[in-house]
Amino acid sequence: MIQIADQTINPTKIICVGTNYMDHIEETKLDKPKEPVLFPKTPNCLILDKDPIIYPKWLYNNRKYNRVDYEAELAFIVKEKCKYVSQDDAYEYILGFTVFNDVTARKMQAKDIVSKLPWFRSKSFDTFGPIGPVIKELNEIKDPHNLNIELRVNGDIKQSSDTKHLLFKVPELLEYISKFFTLEPGDIIATGTPAGIGPIHPGDLIEVSIEKIGILTNKVILEEEVN
Amino acid sequence: MVKIGNIEINPTKIICLGRNYLDHIQETNAPIPTEPVFFVKTLNTLVTDNQPIIYPKILFENENLNRVDHEVELAFVIFQTCKNIKARFAFDYIQGYTIFLDITARSMQKNDRSIHLPWYRSKNFDTFGPIGPRIAPCSEIENPDDLVIQLKVNGVVKQLSNTKYMLFKIPEVLEYISRFITLKRGDIIATGTPSGIGSIIPGDVIEASIEKIGKITHEVILEED
Repeated sequence: MIQIADQTINPTKIICVGTNYMDHIEETKLDKPKEPVLFPKTPNCLILDKDPIIYPKWLYNNRKYNRVDYEAELAFIVKEKCKYVSQDDAYEYILGFTVFNDVTARKMQAKDIVSKLPWFRSKSFDTFGPIGPVIKELNEIKDPHNLNIELRVNGDIKQSSDTKHLLFKVPELLEYISKFFTLEPGDIIATGTPAGIGPIHPGDLIEVSIEKIGILTNKVILEEEVN
Repeated sequence: MVKIGNIEINPTKIICLGRNYLDHIQETNAPIPTEPVFFVKTLNTLVTDNQPIIYPKILFENENLNRVDHEVELAFVIFQTCKNIKARFAFDYIQGYTIFLDITARSMQKNDRSIHLPWYRSKNFDTFGPIGPRIAPCSEIENPDDLVIQLKVNGVVKQLSNTKYMLFKIPEVLEYISRFITLKRGDIIATGTPSGIGSIIPGDVIEASIEKIGKITHEVILEED
């Protein structure tokens, strides 16, 4: 159960789409997907606007693992239980849109991908899923595929794109994902990140903004010593 | 919320171990892991004893994707919120043990792995996570590392092993996973499958049993239009 501005949602899952902006596909040298690439994050990663992103100490202290990245993403929230949604009806099942930061332990992910291992552990550390600051309905943003999306680290622009560059659009994503899984009210779908991914460090201030939605601000802090 | 036997739990996540029995590692030609390999199943997969496993039509009708496998596993349920647990305290955080079936769309998983994609979709179709028939409390199972584990398809034994062959034991598994993520009461951890994985098809009756816990029975049915 989390409260995003004045709305309380109870997500049972967070499904993220990988490699969904052409510019990001080029920078990561990944193949252009023929169908959406899906991976999960678990609810322990969720934090809200102004909550700190906690950089795990054992990643920080390990040279093999000490790169953690931001990824600015447009996310949407499922309104009601659904399966086999057709693209044409997709927006009837969407409560609204919000900003999501798919924080990723990049070196760990790269190592796992090379070994053909799951993409899970690098993505789901506690606090690796900032979300908010509000959920905006479709009529407030009009066209979810015509929104500026930007990420700043300490005020410097690192990612700047537009949701019109999404390879698979929101209705296609909902149709595709709901072929596999029953979605429940409050479930979160993050639609992928544009080019410009890069590292975060303790002390950084991360601002993710999407036009007509708002700015999600989170400071990065180093995990304190575990007792 | 899912009711397992007479206990209701409210899991926020299901974490599964891959490659945790040496015999299974050998049959899949996978390297022996130096640390636990884990992945997620989402809550839409859960079904309880005697409920059907629904074979998705989009898999059944596609000859590149129409292999779905059984994997019997010992699972444990988290008793209280925890993070950074030391192995020696692990059992303080375990409510009890149950049987879990990690149903897997095997051809899809192989295709995805071969092109370095996540293991997610092949593992998470609705009903691909049968669990039950009860949660046996820790007091009933003094040693979870010595239990016969078995799976039958239509009465024929397909998997037969013992939890003593697990590579990473339960306390190590809990210590390891809780370094990454906060676990919540009701969360489910499945500890991996032994050798003998094989396919299921509509009409099959799957019986999975673990000594001292019990048995779950599931019929495989083809998804309707």
